[in-house]
Amino acid sequence: MVAMWTFALARLAGILALGAAFGLLFGEPWLWALAAAFLYLGWQLLNLYRVDRWLRLRSRMAPPNIGGVWGDIVGQVVRLHRRKQFHKQRLVQIFRELRRSTAALPDGVIILSRQHEIVWFNRQGAHLLGLKRPMDIGLRIDNLIRTPEFIQYLHGEDFAHPVVIRPPVQTELHLALQLVPYGVGQSLLLVRDVTRQLRLEGMRKDFVANASHELRTPLTVISGYLDTLAEDTTIDAAWAGPIRDMRAQAQRMNAIIADLLELSRLESTDGEAVRDPIAVPLMLERMQRDALARSERPRQVLLDLDSNAGLFGAAHEIESAFTNLLVNGLKYTNAEGTVRMRWWSNEEGAHFAVIDSGIGIPAEHIPRLTERFYRVDPGRSRSHGGSGLGLAIVKHALQRHGGWLDVQSVEGKGSTFTCHFPFQRLWVDSARPLAARHIA
Amino acid sequence: METADLSHHISRRFNEDLEKVRNQVLQMGGFVEQQLHKAITALVEGDSRLGESVATDDYKVNGMEVSIDEECSRILAIRAPAAGDLRVIVAIIKTITDLERIGDEGEKIGYIASRLATMERPADKYREVKHLGRQVAQMVHDALDAFARMDSLAALKTAQEDKMVDEEYEAIQRQCMTFMMEDPRTIRRALEIMWIVRALERIGDHAKNICEYVIYMVHGKDIRHTSLEDVAKQIDAAHALARR
Repeated sequence: MVAMWTFALARLAGILALGAAFGLLFGEPWLWALAAAFLYLGWQLLNLYRVDRWLRLRSRMAPPNIGGVWGDIVGQVVRLHRRKQFHKQRLVQIFRELRRSTAALPDGVIILSRQHEIVWFNRQGAHLLGLKRPMDIGLRIDNLIRTPEFIQYLHGEDFAHPVVIRPPVQTELHLALQLVPYGVGQSLLLVRDVTRQLRLEGMRKDFVANASHELRTPLTVISGYLDTLAEDTTIDAAWAGPIRDMRAQAQRMNAIIADLLELSRLESTDGEAVRDPIAVPLMLERMQRDALARSERPRQVLLDLDSNAGLFGAAHEIESAFTNLLVNGLKYTNAEGTVRMRWWSNEEGAHFAVIDSGIGIPAEHIPRLTERFYRVDPGRSRSHGGSGLGLAIVKHALQRHGGWLDVQSVEGKGSTFTCHFPFQRLWVDSARPLAARHIA
Repeated sequence: METADLSHHISRRFNEDLEKVRNQVLQMGGFVEQQLHKAITALVEGDSRLGESVATDDYKVNGMEVSIDEECSRILAIRAPAAGDLRVIVAIIKTITDLERIGDEGEKIGYIASRLATMERPADKYREVKHLGRQVAQMVHDALDAFARMDSLAALKTAQEDKMVDEEYEAIQRQCMTFMMEDPRTIRRALEIMWIVRALERIGDHAKNICEYVIYMVHGKDIRHTSLEDVAKQIDAAHALARR
């Protein structure tokens, strides 16, 4: 660089000296030097003009071929430009790859702003939801996807699970939409086609329901004949034992099928349970009487009614859930033990608990209790009969009422099964005075 | 499309009010669409409970209409909107009336469907009615989409579909008459079906009305009682003007 500038200075000095030399030859050396300086200035201006023109029309013309300082500046600009171009191209390439990969995603992706306005969407999202580009950018998503369930989901706060809707364009599909909030108020809406899963699920449910239904008829015939055989006095006494066993097993099968049907009915009815008023205290008193009438039962079956509140729900579902819990308590408590039912309500809602002093459940089994056919101790529970579906029924019935099941247990000391119902399901019957009753 | 640009306003509150009431209309539209879908499903699948639920839920549509109507009166009284904003409000007031009527027709279909569910079902399982229902539901959907997007071209296209719905309606009507003549025992069912297709045809008309309000809202042209071909020419001219 220094050499270049020294050369430039030397050249200027040379030109001025040349001008002065001509002046010494022809007279007026100062004027000659000034003329040389003007010439030099003109040449520089011409170079400046060429560089400026090139910078303006860079894309259409080659860099000017000039030497010296100007040439060096042109070279530097070219280099700088080339480097910038390279970076830009790399960025564009990365961006394109990113766009292409999100566009190729099998799921729909839609980016929403704070006001739920559509910022960007990929091809699959447009295809599934019938969005149009570029018309729909900036529109609110709930203006286009108007399904009431989705609007409710969008304005709610629970985004842990997706909401399943029928899309507006292809109504035979089922779409699962899930909102994933990120950054400040922005969110990602994921759209997945779940038609196939739902159809498989439906087929499974139908199969269970149909199979149980078909099993029922032959079983009725078998138990009918077994009943007749049991009363037939002409049969050899040696057959009395086997016939009794067969009858007991037939009854058990009947119970399992009844539970399977109940469970598939609970599963196949969509949405929330109906809201019929149920007088829970009366129901519990009746359940207690039935329990006391059993031949094999713990010594004490108690009922604590701390509330006169009832529930809004489907009566037979609630009764089947409560009965299942009570029967479990009775089954796993020995003759000297106690089973206590408790019904109370507070500002959170209504609660029903069955507290037994039975054998208890090891802690590792508690999370899996509500699975179908899950057995803590296979040998023992089979000898007690029971279908292995009771707690699954309880779970489903509670879910349909917006409630949930809580299980506490100490091995060897007893268990507490508590049903919690939300406040919206509480029915306060003002006609009945609120008084705690403890019925032994 | 000056009306689509609701964001440049002196008063931000006014914008928010307009946006809010527009959202409410579309929300109401979404509910009405769902009611219509449910009513058609109830008929085709013979689900009497679903049909009844449609009939009992209609009060919600009425409630929405009243509240949007009040909101519009409030905006008119307080903000005294002019030009494009005034057209938006006027179009909204008219649109919700038609939506409410669509809700009423849906209620009717749901009610008749629940009654038909107890009767013997025809061999074709109401295929023609289902097809007409699909077509009409799509029309309502497209009309509301055009409303959301302020898309006058889509609105015009949807309005033109009403002709097809009318033709289909007449075809089913003739078919029903043939059934009744062939076998007088089907008269009762055929009459009920007539009520349903009549309701669907009316829904098509209401959807067409909504499309006309969209065109009015966007271009400020009242196109009721003019032929759609003329309207198409006018809209093309307006777009050409906007492009220049």
